[in-house]
Amino acid sequence: MTLDPITPAFSPVDLAIPVFVVTILLEIILARLGKVRAVYEVKDTATSLGMGLGSSIAGAITGGVIFAASLWVYKYHLFDIPMTAWWAWVAVFFLEDLTYYWFHRLSHERRFWWASHVNHHTSQHYNLATALRQTWTGGLAGTWLLWLPLVFLGFPPAMVVIQKGISLVYQYWIHTEAVRRMPRWFEAVFNTPSHHRVHHARNPRYLDANYAGILIIWDRMFGSYIPEDDAEACRYGIVHNLGDFNIFRVAFHEWMAIGKDLAGSRSIREVIGYLFGPPGWSPDGSRDTSATLKAKWRARMATVSPAASEETIPLQAAE
Amino acid sequence: MNETILKLAGSALAVAIMVAIAWLARIARPMTPLDEAGARLLIAEEFPDLSPDQLWVAGDGGGAVARAGEDALVVYRLGDSWVARSMPWVSALAAPVKRGKVLLKLRDPAAPMARLTVSGVSPWPPKSAQEVLAA
Repeated sequence: MTLDPITPAFSPVDLAIPVFVVTILLEIILARLGKVRAVYEVKDTATSLGMGLGSSIAGAITGGVIFAASLWVYKYHLFDIPMTAWWAWVAVFFLEDLTYYWFHRLSHERRFWWASHVNHHTSQHYNLATALRQTWTGGLAGTWLLWLPLVFLGFPPAMVVIQKGISLVYQYWIHTEAVRRMPRWFEAVFNTPSHHRVHHARNPRYLDANYAGILIIWDRMFGSYIPEDDAEACRYGIVHNLGDFNIFRVAFHEWMAIGKDLAGSRSIREVIGYLFGPPGWSPDGSRDTSATLKAKWRARMATVSPAASEETIPLQAAE
Repeated sequence: MNETILKLAGSALAVAIMVAIAWLARIARPMTPLDEAGARLLIAEEFPDLSPDQLWVAGDGGGAVARAGEDALVVYRLGDSWVARSMPWVSALAAPVKRGKVLLKLRDPAAPMARLTVSGVSPWPPKSAQEVLAA
């Protein structure tokens, strides 16, 4: 069997589109019948799905540049990794997932990349349609550069593209409240609806956690894992939720906010802080970042119940 | 090219069907208009570190404004959810009322304006604030 190392033999995402449509309809219908938990607000759903549609257009526009860059890097690859070897697929599975973890963490913890990723978190709902609320500006933000080292190592560009697609398709099904918990062994190794609900929550205790793509092991390894606590329901969205359903606001609001801040900057330090500081960074500390929100939350918990707060505050939150 | 356009058209049709089914299903969160107790709860959840005193609830219960020191804490309804922002209290007091709505400029690209319904029962600026201004 031969596989073209340059052009992907198939697109996992394209193949999954009919599954996306059928499962979203199924989630809505089963929720209507009271069989599963799911909340769909019409305008919110239209916004999520419209963002998904727009994302595929934006991806087509920037895809050529990304593809050309991959080809250029592949010319200088270190090792010849055959696409037909089973071990190569195992290796790319783990390495791509590790790359995704760091891409995702960067996309939450540094504002320049958050500006591109934030739209995925702007829904105050958590359902399968939310999974399709994808970025329009990912190509411009340049996070795709993070995958080029895999190509430089020798993984054929087509292999990396296919594995990225598999990861995206995997992450689709975890955007649901219909599944409470998977079996314990599964929750220990894989990213699940429960883990990802935490990731989409705006409760201070849950901020900046569970960046996993397919494997939750990376969060456990790098200290960003927070389990879902049944005593504190996830409240979805972003710290400062959007004021309307305007799809262009969803796509560009954080870029506009960055532009506004940069226009008022008075030094290089402020420019760098506004661009690459954590979301919420400000020169005088008057705005909240995830860290300050968590600190305030910990202080409130300590006031309410000092003993209880020590037990329930996740270790990684106590940085 | 034709294939791409066909794919896009197919996806757009699928989106329309999914949105239509979501509309027919009517499974959004049930929402009731805010009353004073509800507004206080919501504001406490959104601004847990602040202690508001004066509270004004929009005529249709679609939002509220509370005063916490020099800040106005604004919450307003969006679909079946709520949006919260703060702004200077003096700016809130000076906000214009047009066509039965007070227009609160939030100066945030993510939520530029809150439009809250004013009525005879809940005029803007709030009655207590008017008294303060008159004094």
